[in-house]
Amino acid sequence: MGMWLFLFTELLLFGGLFIVYLIYRVLNADAFLSASYELDVTMGTINTVVLLVSSMTIAMSITAIQKGDSKKSIQLLGTTLLLSLMFMVIKYFEWSAKISHGLFPGLDLYKSLPPGEALYFFLYFIMTGLHALHIIIGAVIIAVTMYRTRKGLVTADKYTLTENAGLYWHLVDLIWIYLFPLFYLIH
Amino acid sequence: MAPRGSYLDLFVSLVLPNTLKTMAHKHTNDDHSENHEHHIVSYREHFSTLIALLFLTVVTVAISVFGASLASLSVFTAMLIATVKVVVVAYYFMHLKYDKKIYGWLVIIVSILFVAVSVLTAIEYLNR
Repeated sequence: MGMWLFLFTELLLFGGLFIVYLIYRVLNADAFLSASYELDVTMGTINTVVLLVSSMTIAMSITAIQKGDSKKSIQLLGTTLLLSLMFMVIKYFEWSAKISHGLFPGLDLYKSLPPGEALYFFLYFIMTGLHALHIIIGAVIIAVTMYRTRKGLVTADKYTLTENAGLYWHLVDLIWIYLFPLFYLIH
Repeated sequence: MAPRGSYLDLFVSLVLPNTLKTMAHKHTNDDHSENHEHHIVSYREHFSTLIALLFLTVVTVAISVFGASLASLSVFTAMLIATVKVVVVAYYFMHLKYDKKIYGWLVIIVSILFVAVSVLTAIEYLNR
């Protein structure tokens, strides 16, 4: 229950940003459309698939620990961890491409953009950045869960940590499910 | 519940009705037991869920990339598909299907509140 309440506060954190996005998008519909062509739909789609698969592997790690198979549970958590790393690597390439084009707030190209497009990139960096931070936190929680499972502190009778790691990770996935169409699929 | 956070259970128990209160107290007294039934979701069910989610992703990308003529429809459709995906993740991966009903209701209530605030903000802002 504690974890769910925490997830609700997270929802409101991102929810506020989604409302900001909604208003600015309605006010700058054309600018958001043209700015969105700067994003790479292929990379966004790959990252969506990566997160969905990782959501399945962490859900399966709960199944494994419930069955008492801690080795398999650790393997599945490890797979989730690798997928989170993959997400971050792809995100890194996306961000660094934007930054080298000068689209990061404060850089030359960003300053020369029409106000609507600048807003789009501002929100893009804020929202995907906050999401990436959640990915990193989620990865740390998964690593801790793996360690504690290995130590025998997480068992078939006591797997709350695995459940909470799963819930947190699914939340990260849920936020991306909305971020992806809102930023990449405006076309 | 929360790792090493029995204080959270106590806090929650203050807010929730009596039936849950007794349950939460029982839980804090007996830290080693989970206070819900152990329904084990099969690997197969998780895999089917993933296939459904991937299918919805393909649909939403296809509409966006190839369905340019549907421009006005696409924002609404994209949000609708995203919401379906979110419901699938919450219901199957996050075990709402097998959890106590109270969790599902909380999710629904919080979601309705959020949608209401968004819609009201949008209406207010656009009617100036």
